[in-house]
Amino acid sequence: MELFTWETNMLIVGFLMILAGCYCMIRTYHMLKIIIGVEVAMKAVTMFLILAGRINGNMDLSQAFVVTVIVIEVIVAVVFAGVTIGLYKKYGNMDIRNLTQLKG
Amino acid sequence: MNVLKYAAETFLFVPFAAIVINNVFSKKMMEKCFHLLTGAVALSQIFATLFCIYSMDARGMSRFEFFMLEELYENDREFFCLTPVTLIFLLCIGIVAFVSVMVAKKTIDAKKTSYVNLLMTLIIGMNGMVMVNDFFSLYVFLDVVGLSSFVLIAMFRSRKSLEGSIKYIIISELATIFILTGLAFLFMQTGSLDYMDLNSSLLQNSSEPQTMLLSLSLILILSGFFVKAGAVPFHSWLPDAHQSADTSISILLSGIVIKIAGIYGIYVLTDLFSGVKAIQTALAAIGILSIVAGALLALCQSHFKRMIAYSSVSQMGYILLALSTGTTLGVVAAVAHVFSHALFKSTLFVNAAAIHEQAGTLEMDEMGGLEHRMPVTSFSSVIAFLSTAGIPPLTGFWSKLLIILALWTAGNPVLAGVALCASIFTSAYFLRMQKKVFFGKTPEHLASVREVSGSIKIIEIILTAITTLIGILFPLVLIFLQSRGIL
Amino acid sequence: MNTILSISLACLLVFCILSIMSHSLLKSAIFLALASAMLGVLMYMMGAVWAAVIEVSACSGLVTVIFISAISLSNIKKDDIHKQYEDKKRMRWFPITMIVGGILLIVIALAKDFTLTSALQQTTDHFKEVFWNTRQVDIMGQIVTILIGGIAVFVLFREEQENK
Repeated sequence: MELFTWETNMLIVGFLMILAGCYCMIRTYHMLKIIIGVEVAMKAVTMFLILAGRINGNMDLSQAFVVTVIVIEVIVAVVFAGVTIGLYKKYGNMDIRNLTQLKG
Repeated sequence: MNVLKYAAETFLFVPFAAIVINNVFSKKMMEKCFHLLTGAVALSQIFATLFCIYSMDARGMSRFEFFMLEELYENDREFFCLTPVTLIFLLCIGIVAFVSVMVAKKTIDAKKTSYVNLLMTLIIGMNGMVMVNDFFSLYVFLDVVGLSSFVLIAMFRSRKSLEGSIKYIIISELATIFILTGLAFLFMQTGSLDYMDLNSSLLQNSSEPQTMLLSLSLILILSGFFVKAGAVPFHSWLPDAHQSADTSISILLSGIVIKIAGIYGIYVLTDLFSGVKAIQTALAAIGILSIVAGALLALCQSHFKRMIAYSSVSQMGYILLALSTGTTLGVVAAVAHVFSHALFKSTLFVNAAAIHEQAGTLEMDEMGGLEHRMPVTSFSSVIAFLSTAGIPPLTGFWSKLLIILALWTAGNPVLAGVALCASIFTSAYFLRMQKKVFFGKTPEHLASVREVSGSIKIIEIILTAITTLIGILFPLVLIFLQSRGIL
Repeated sequence: MNTILSISLACLLVFCILSIMSHSLLKSAIFLALASAMLGVLMYMMGAVWAAVIEVSACSGLVTVIFISAISLSNIKKDDIHKQYEDKKRMRWFPITMIVGGILLIVIALAKDFTLTSALQQTTDHFKEVFWNTRQVDIMGQIVTILIGGIAVFVLFREEQENK
């Protein structure tokens, strides 16, 4: 039954999550959905950092990394939501197809 | 040693202090003198850098490691470090921040305190990024730089600026995810992300990446930094973001942020993995692509700032090409081009601010004949254009000469030839700009345009003088390089 | 231990996919919070206790609050997203992409004979010393980041209320 070690499984799941997040970011028309894609991909990245700490045995350092990454992730969500709300106030919806002001 | 340590500490403490001052005192008072505060910070950065250069040169040091606070425990390694490359980057940050402040005094009407706060966090981010000694800390400060620029672009909340900001955020977040994934894999292999540990681990001795994950991590980190630098296949956010922001913010973004966030990261990567030939090939390919495509796209733009933004893409290509050689001369050439690009790109954006302030438009088709109406702006833009195109006594010429020499001595005469030929494109789009904006007949609605006054005029004159003066004095730098055996 | 790890890993993947596939944004946000909680469990099982605590509180809590406030500020109608934004049509190939990607990754891992194993010696009890002593620069960066977050709220959210 055991095809891979659980570390390898975790790596595969992480790559799938990044794929899912990027797919969502590229294909969706809704701006808040884009943040969800970013968050999903960032979850995979935090998992990779913990996994890296587990594999090289230096879990303390990787925990310190993850704490910083989580703080940054939250602030990115705040800034993104702020810009999105600003656009909503201008256009009345959150369609990414509205963004046609800048071309050339 | 102590004085040098204090000078180095000002790079992070002075902006912090400025944030505190800005928020403690009353808002009305700070809005009145916001340019004094930020100008003082920028000037202190310039003078502290000059002092550090002088004092490190006098002591013959090529590295100075320090730590900001009192040591909490006995640490065998310092957190920050100054090298000659770092110092030149810090000098560029100071100069561009000063120019931005001088322009902001005229162009920014509202939200001055927020501008000061965000400018200071941006400066902290950039200073921290070039000084840190650890790849993960570099990532943290990279995100500080990125977040400050998102908010700076979106600050005035017009449709255009919000749109430019959201495009920048989306693509930049992709880059962040790539870089962080790459760092996680690197950390998995090495157990530490300190530059020293990365340098001394097995990676450096081998010419090929050992495992699949390591090569994957290098690809991911490199492409992330390409996005941040705006190199060509990844450039789509750059003109939007730089066009839509206020001009004083575009100066920062185009003049320094793409270089710190993108080029400095790539420099660190090439420095750490100097044995991996694939990185150099990738840099050369992306560099050539950026030079040619950036210049061609700049040719067909009608918006003044958008054209200058595409010109930035093209110039980033030159810097990547210089870094692709992997030699010391290549690094010197790249840093020299970073410096001269900071000078002439900020001159061009100051011109954009002057034209926007006086003529009220930046569409090149609506302009014409501003040469006699705005002689100072016209002259400084001509000098900046000649410097970009690489005409002899100006700074741009010497840095491009160094790049071509570096390519030639590294055994890439074809690349050197392409870089030389691509300068013709640069001349082409700038000649088109000059013809449309400054020459020809004046349309009626621009008949009453006057020369810009005050701080913008002063900064135009100062920047033009610096470009010419350093260009004339540049042979001294060449002699210095020869005495060190680099040239 | 391996069973719990495998279950929470599977749950993490399923919740992430659900949060992307669901056509109601509220459901998306909730599934994201659940995925975060699962990641917290995963971290705890791997020995990263402090990171797990922060993941559950900050990511699962704070980010969900931010989402819900953004959703309520923009009062999007329920299930609006798959009509107006053509979400169903646009995300049509998503399950197939995921399956193909998964099979591809497994095939690559099998073909390259790829195995990762964790180190035998784990140091997990010096987190406080490592974090506060050797990562002071990161803490400084965090402080600046939080500052930017405050300024961003100040700049991007506030003035709208004054205009009203």
